[in-house]
Amino acid sequence: MNRIRLHLMTASLLIFVSGVTSAHDPVFGLGPHTLFKGGIETHIGFDQSKANTNKAMESSLEVAYGITGNWTARVEIPYVDRNIGPSGISDMRIATKYRFWRRDDLGLQESSTAFLKIKPDTASNGRGNGASDSILGIAYGYESRKWYRWASVRYRFNGEALGNVSRGDQYLVDLVTGIRFKPSAYKEADWVWMLELNGEKTKNSQLNGVALANSGGTEWFLSPGLMWTLRNFAIKTGMQFPVASNLNGIQAESDYRAKLEFEWHL
Amino acid sequence: MKKVMLLIVISLLWSTTLFAAGTQYDLRVDGLACPFCAYGIEKKLTKTDGVESVAFDLEKGLVIVKVKEGMTFSEAQLKLLIEDSGFTMRSMTEKPII
Repeated sequence: MNRIRLHLMTASLLIFVSGVTSAHDPVFGLGPHTLFKGGIETHIGFDQSKANTNKAMESSLEVAYGITGNWTARVEIPYVDRNIGPSGISDMRIATKYRFWRRDDLGLQESSTAFLKIKPDTASNGRGNGASDSILGIAYGYESRKWYRWASVRYRFNGEALGNVSRGDQYLVDLVTGIRFKPSAYKEADWVWMLELNGEKTKNSQLNGVALANSGGTEWFLSPGLMWTLRNFAIKTGMQFPVASNLNGIQAESDYRAKLEFEWHL
Repeated sequence: MKKVMLLIVISLLWSTTLFAAGTQYDLRVDGLACPFCAYGIEKKLTKTDGVESVAFDLEKGLVIVKVKEGMTFSEAQLKLLIEDSGFTMRSMTEKPII
């Protein structure tokens, strides 16, 4: 039973890294950005979450490649450090985004992207969650010289972990607005301030087909964030604070989640 | 007098072409909302043979491309480079760099 609890806890702690963020996409939500054709993006990210006494820190290295101007592929290698459970290199993730619609105007771009992320069970010694998961999503973005708006929905298919534990699948919804107070010229530092509303609805986990009472539920977060960019370098940061929580049974509610990301386009 | 004027105009045009240090293309590009995203255009264009410099006026949606003497680009070539960067080229003007 301890093992089951550990898997469920690991799963819940790692949920926050389920997005693939790219500069000028939201910090926690999913945005529609893809890389230019032949472009390479290197990305170093740090995530921290705390839920009651459970604390996890994850750093990750990501590399993305622009297959076309509308299609990007990405590989991510995370390193997890937890206060409960094993630490080390966690499950590798591969992801792809395809921009299927775009409307360009003077100083304005609207676009929509389909997104798929697969997390195979690659880590050993319990450093991953012991299952293969995948996320399917769709994102819309409106980006102008001053205002930003994003919306996305994702569905996370959680695979069966060790001990016949099926973690509940999850819906993720994000609504984001952003503003650039002072339009900047090329090669000038650029600041965009954001506010995200992130919703997560998780189905009950099951053990041998029986629903576990202390699993699943809904959480909503309000997340202020910031993007700072200079030519081909970006820093993004943000914090998620729970504003509404309806978790089933007895579960640790999230206290906060934080992200810091560095990104270079080569 | 008319013949003299015509000769002056022709010689001016000739000298402009002869001493031109290259060509400048002013591209009207839509979708340029942020400087970070525009980097893709800079990268794509500067990797292209003959391109000497790329500058941006984001407010006007302008990409200013300077190319070496003797090198030329067609509108279709530039349009494809901009499309591969994730943006839309609407129009183009071309002038010699003196």
